Amino acid sequence: MSVDVTPAVGVGEVQPPASGLLSRRPAWLSQNLVTALILMVAGYAFGHWIGNVISSGRVWVTTAAENDAAIVLGLLFGVVGWLLGIGALNYPLAKLIGRDTVPQERTDWTKYFRFSLTHKVVGKQYLIMVLLFFFTGGLLAMAIRTELLTPTTHIIGPGTYISIVGEHGTIMMMMASSLVVGPLGNYLIPLMIGSRRMAFPRIEAASFWLFTAGYFVILTALPLGGFPTGWTGYAPLQNQAGVGMDSYLVGFLVISLGMILAGFNQIATIINYRAPGLTWGRMSIFVWSVLITSVLLATASPTLTIACVAGLLDRTVPTAFFLNVHGGSSYLWQNLFWFFGHPEVYIMALPGFGIVAELLPVFCRKPLFAYRVGAAGLVGVGLLSYFVWQHHLFQSGINPDMRPLFMLTTELISIPTGFVFLIGLGTIYKSKMRFEVPMLFCLAFYFNFLIGGITGVFLSDVPVNVTLHGGFFVLSHFHYTILGGLVFAFFGGVYYWTPKVLGKTLNKRLGQIHFWMMFVFFNLTFFPLFLVGLFDQPRRVFEYAVRLQTLNDFASVSAYLLGASFVVFVVNFVWSIWIDPKTAPANPWDSNGLEWQTESPPPWYNFERIPVVLADPYHYSEPVPVPVADLAPDNFAEAAGNGVAAAAMAGAGTGGASSGGSSAGTQDGSD
Amino acid sequence: MSRSWRIAIVLGLFACAVVLVVFTAMAYIATSPPTVSYLDSQPPGATVHLVMQTDGVVGSATGGAAHPTWVSYRIRTPKTHAWTHTTLVYLPAHSRIDVTIYQFDSGSPLRNQHFGMVTGTIGNDAKLNGKTFKVLNSYDTPNGQGVGHTFTVPSLGINVPLEGNDTSKKTFCTYGPCDPATQLHTKTTFAFTTPGVGNYRFQCFIPCGGGRYAGNGGAMQTLGYMGGFLEVRA
Repeated sequence: MSVDVTPAVGVGEVQPPASGLLSRRPAWLSQNLVTALILMVAGYAFGHWIGNVISSGRVWVTTAAENDAAIVLGLLFGVVGWLLGIGALNYPLAKLIGRDTVPQERTDWTKYFRFSLTHKVVGKQYLIMVLLFFFTGGLLAMAIRTELLTPTTHIIGPGTYISIVGEHGTIMMMMASSLVVGPLGNYLIPLMIGSRRMAFPRIEAASFWLFTAGYFVILTALPLGGFPTGWTGYAPLQNQAGVGMDSYLVGFLVISLGMILAGFNQIATIINYRAPGLTWGRMSIFVWSVLITSVLLATASPTLTIACVAGLLDRTVPTAFFLNVHGGSSYLWQNLFWFFGHPEVYIMALPGFGIVAELLPVFCRKPLFAYRVGAAGLVGVGLLSYFVWQHHLFQSGINPDMRPLFMLTTELISIPTGFVFLIGLGTIYKSKMRFEVPMLFCLAFYFNFLIGGITGVFLSDVPVNVTLHGGFFVLSHFHYTILGGLVFAFFGGVYYWTPKVLGKTLNKRLGQIHFWMMFVFFNLTFFPLFLVGLFDQPRRVFEYAVRLQTLNDFASVSAYLLGASFVVFVVNFVWSIWIDPKTAPANPWDSNGLEWQTESPPPWYNFERIPVVLADPYHYSEPVPVPVADLAPDNFAEAAGNGVAAAAMAGAGTGGASSGGSSAGTQDGSD
Repeated sequence: MSRSWRIAIVLGLFACAVVLVVFTAMAYIATSPPTVSYLDSQPPGATVHLVMQTDGVVGSATGGAAHPTWVSYRIRTPKTHAWTHTTLVYLPAHSRIDVTIYQFDSGSPLRNQHFGMVTGTIGNDAKLNGKTFKVLNSYDTPNGQGVGHTFTVPSLGINVPLEGNDTSKKTFCTYGPCDPATQLHTKTTFAFTTPGVGNYRFQCFIPCGGGRYAGNGGAMQTLGYMGGFLEVRA
């Protein structure tokens, strides 16, 4: 077969347009965050009015003195208004009426507040938004720990407490599902596969603005009275709750739509937009992790979508999907929710695995140990994640004969997880590690995730699960895997890729302070909570036994200091990027990754020529350096006679170009 | 832009964010209902007289009620005798509490006859309109009014059923606060002894959250309406 390595149309002549060049409208007329906010409020008012017209006077509305239909339609129309206001619907609406669209892409700073089709802009938008999610959820966590300072004197009431707990959990789960795939996936995947863009830029941008809309929707739960179910939203408590529950259901519905879109876009991009020569066996492990995560996003999230729709119908029409007494089943919610919810756990975990496995070879200066086993481990975890969900239902009254089956599948998943762990240990073994800040986060990831993983094996055991269910032991377990795993890996990735993304280096000293504070106080917060859980303190209850106050106070004070560590990060970020910026070297970590082979920050078109990939990016200890890619494939034909080029051609034949049109000529940087 | 300006802008934005977060948090916490204190209502060691009422509709006339059509408890403030729309009350520890509840709502048959029994009070009985009783059978109460609500404190084992009223009467209270002197009600009295310091949840156990599945939502599970706390202090 042949590989098309001709330059992309216009490449070489394409320059980043001057400010506002791509837009045919003046800035004040084009859609942006302000128009989105205005139309969101207008949409809410309109939807609320429609809901009142439809439902006022219905018996269940009159007697409940709450109109769920008005709230739900208000929120849904608010989201539609948001998308209209930001310009997400311009293209489909214009096509519907057979008109051309008016390009609005801008290149000045206002692009960050608009519907941008540039993957690097969307990646940065995602970064700010996930941090906003994270810090909002973090503030709620501080409120929880403050209330738990004493078992007898209360700052917030029990209803408010459970609302805050539910809000914290839901916001954090929403955030964590996009924490890596959103900012790092959208920004880095095209760079790591030698592409100029994502496959579907409009879908990419739409997934971000849906994600943002979800933030506003879930925040409305608090002023609407909160929801008493925690983040799991169990029925029939869901059906009995006040209108704050509507925010939960609409919020998760919106977020799940964004997750589906993001997942499909990543899958299409990775399969079809890989550069010539980038075979499956040469793809970086981070791309593998995003690919598997995206498959989970695209296939597990629809279950959540349909569960939320059914829940909203129960509360508004009203149907009875989850009401046993009317022929429905509350188990249906539990099964739908956890059929999404447990893959969701790996949606959160796999990108963390990918980041640390990507970074370890760079800082150990060794090839990634057993690369193919690691990729197989990621695939194995992804597959098995669909067969474990009922371990969340051990105590729900399910058929007891089902419990050993799901105990077994849950324990089985620790095997591919172990693969991923072992490739890390194998890479570290006998290496000359460089203890840069990203590496510190990677090492902490393994320490924390080991504790989270082992306690997970305990909890998969039915007798242990029955004893510890619903307590702080479970809480600590999943905080060790998500906060101790994913979030540590995420920050490692942020420190590692900031020089690439922004062309600036984060302050090393402040980075070390951030790391050590985060690592020490994370463990001092959550390890005592294992003990609290063993001593039977339940989750979601604002009171506890007086004898547990010392441990709780210790955890609360540690939590405040853990929160302070994130303040150090923000100070470092703002200081290093804006107040006292230091230009980063082009490749400060001496990485072989394809994303580091172009300028930092990358130009508008990523690569001047679509590169031809020659090898995987982990050849760190070779006596003779192995080039990762030919970045000037104009010379490719001349070099075709030598062995390296032939190998690249062979690779391209089995992967990149042949699998879906990743030819250079088809990848135009413009949209 | 100089570095000083940049620092000033960042600090200014940070201060704005802190103010916004603190203001929002305080406003949110302040939505908790008020607490009525009976700690100083009597000399130390003397019997405390706790007076409450249950309304079928909280009523828009009260102002400030988030859900004016919900059912709700009210507690009488000991010094002013004003009815406060709350379910949070301070009581002294290890004291005898004489409770009077004026019940203004209608009733219905009990789904679970267990909640027709009086338990956990001194003598395990209560008085309905002056007559002692131990069980209120909702299916043979006068005029079929049934049981309107209960005063139940699970952790103290207390359950007292409150008989419902006949809604066809002219003096039936349409919205609260209701007046025991002029409006139709039942009067239930009983006594119990407070334990040591602690928070003891009380709640109506008759599903009365209208419009929600099985009546178990809405007012039934909301602090300030049919659920509350007896906070026992030293």
